Amino acid sequence: MESMDEDPVSAARRAGRHAIDERAGKRLLSSYGVTVPRSRVVTRVEDVDAAMSALKTPVVVKVMSPDILHKSDVGGVKLHLHSALEVASAIRCMRDDPRIEGARIDGFLIEEMAPAGHELVVGGLRDPQFGPLIMVGLGGIFVEVLKDVSFRLCPISRIDAEEMLAELKGAALLQGARGTTPASIDAIIEVLLNVGGEQGLLMQHAADICEADINPLIVSDTAAIAVDARFILG
Amino acid sequence: MTILEAFAPLFAPKTVAVVGASSKGHALPNVFIRRIREFGFAGDIYPIHPAAEEIDGLPAYRTLADTPRPVDYAYIAVSAAQIPAMLSAARGHVRFAQVISSGFGEVEEGRHLQTELVEAARAGGMRLLGPNCLGIYTPRGRVTFTEIGPREVGPIGVVSQSGGLGVDIIRRGLSRGLKFSGLVTLGNCADVTPADLLEFYIADPHTRVIGLYIEAARDGRRLFDILRHARAVKPVVILKGGRTQQGLAAAASHTGSLAGDDRAWVALARQTGSVLVDTLDKLIDTLLIFQTLAPRPQSPTEKVVLFGNGGGTSVLATDYYARLGLDVAPFERPIIDALAALQLPPGTSITNPVDCPVGTLQQDDGRVAERILDIVCARGTPDAVVMHLNLSVFAGRTRPEVLDNLVEAALRVQAKRPGQSHFVLVLRSDGEPVVEARKRAFRDKAVALGIPVYDEMTNAGHSLSALQSYERFLSRRCLVPG
Repeated sequence: MESMDEDPVSAARRAGRHAIDERAGKRLLSSYGVTVPRSRVVTRVEDVDAAMSALKTPVVVKVMSPDILHKSDVGGVKLHLHSALEVASAIRCMRDDPRIEGARIDGFLIEEMAPAGHELVVGGLRDPQFGPLIMVGLGGIFVEVLKDVSFRLCPISRIDAEEMLAELKGAALLQGARGTTPASIDAIIEVLLNVGGEQGLLMQHAADICEADINPLIVSDTAAIAVDARFILG
Repeated sequence: MTILEAFAPLFAPKTVAVVGASSKGHALPNVFIRRIREFGFAGDIYPIHPAAEEIDGLPAYRTLADTPRPVDYAYIAVSAAQIPAMLSAARGHVRFAQVISSGFGEVEEGRHLQTELVEAARAGGMRLLGPNCLGIYTPRGRVTFTEIGPREVGPIGVVSQSGGLGVDIIRRGLSRGLKFSGLVTLGNCADVTPADLLEFYIADPHTRVIGLYIEAARDGRRLFDILRHARAVKPVVILKGGRTQQGLAAAASHTGSLAGDDRAWVALARQTGSVLVDTLDKLIDTLLIFQTLAPRPQSPTEKVVLFGNGGGTSVLATDYYARLGLDVAPFERPIIDALAALQLPPGTSITNPVDCPVGTLQQDDGRVAERILDIVCARGTPDAVVMHLNLSVFAGRTRPEVLDNLVEAALRVQAKRPGQSHFVLVLRSDGEPVVEARKRAFRDKAVALGIPVYDEMTNAGHSLSALQSYERFLSRRCLVPG
């Protein structure tokens, strides 16, 4: 694992990796002002108690392994855990799971669960002619089936960010259509600017990051939290 | 050196060298010599030829380095393989060389030759236009590669990666009234790129409107940065080829370069206030509206009044305009009452759209339009008035001056309230020679008055919608409050 002080992009480059793992990706986002869940990493079940004393429940546990790309497909993610006891037992289950047993395990990530909210996707992409682009869309079927996303070239301005959200077909849902709680538009715009703005992550690492995925970004009426993140280097 | 100084010799050359003209006078470069003379080019013309003493009555020179004065612009159309050596031997004697010849980067076997060409141009100390293009048209410099084109300098600056499309823009634009500050075809863009000329046109005081036909932008990032920093100071209309997967394959074989990405172009347009269009007709239509109407960011175009003959046409146009985000809303009661007081003949619809049969329009030889539009504009404050006349119905029924009177009436109403509403004219025809002739004559008059004239309601609609998006962009981002 990379040291805490080194910039995660350089660290991953130095280690010859083509992607930044979830934890380092979140540290990278956090260093650009994007809120990520509070978390601790444990390598041994014995350390769970100490880790949990610093976190608010419920938490989620995720296995950390360079060999596992889709953690939830192999049982490597356990949600809604309310105590150290439940966390320790989830870790033991994962270790014994035949789909995980053989993989190299860097540790287990224990994260506070984000409060319920709207699920968004924020992405980044490097175009050969135009350089970095930023994308935003509503999560789930909106992105996967309806392709309801909008793109802008980086760097984006505040007005660009506002217009990106406004042009989504599902924009009304963020305002609280169909009786849902409205999402904090300001919080989403802050994330878009921190990722795609002039001083944002994609501009600053344009030479290294070719794809980025914050999926999901969970947005309540007060905050936007990057719950999962992946960065592809190249 | 500023960008204006750097490109001045291209747009107003004092000396032109022509490579490839034959002593028999039949080659394309001979035609070029003839055209620029006819166009009134008053500087020196230097034919370059390895053996001939004289070409088209002009003394010929052996190489580009041998001309009496330095060459501002060289037009080169000889076989590809011999060009690099010719350029590198110019020794700083040439400012701009435009290579018309093909056989370079647009074909697999010419890639290496294109690299050589670029290196040779650099070694010879010149900027290179092309290869694989057709030439330049610059009325201020009296240089043209096309047979016809307006002689006067206009406000539209164009860059076209395709030579043929450049010709189409000039020729089709002619009857529509488009006038140009310059048009440059760039082909493979081996050295000078659309971004370079965009930068020039943004700075150029002759140019008010910019049109780009782009198939591939290797320097897309620079294009974006130039547009972003220009803050939509001039409208830029971009016709982008190769936006679809199939179009992309055609573009790759056409200019031999990689095409960009649709979503990147859509994003670029939204972020810079540029207008993205997808057909040649829309490019010409949109350039026309920006040439003729002054954008009004203080009140972006929304409310549109349709006025003319043709009930079905009005209904369809209302639907179409609504889909484009233009508002053809019915009039409020006071306007309807005031129009009713005019006691127009039955069959006249006095809500928006205002549908007037020819019988109504020819009242008082067309002057009735002034009374109608006066009420509409005084009480309804529309952002745009579209007058549409179906000339087939007028033919044989009215005196020609009725049409003149209708348009003059609209102009007078507009003049009473300067800056209130845009005026657009649609002249519809059935293609019959009599009607076409009448339309052409009438269109020429209207064009001369600076009115944008369209063939159909749809063309006028998408042009107004382009104007609206530009006005909105300015109003949202560039208007300083107070």
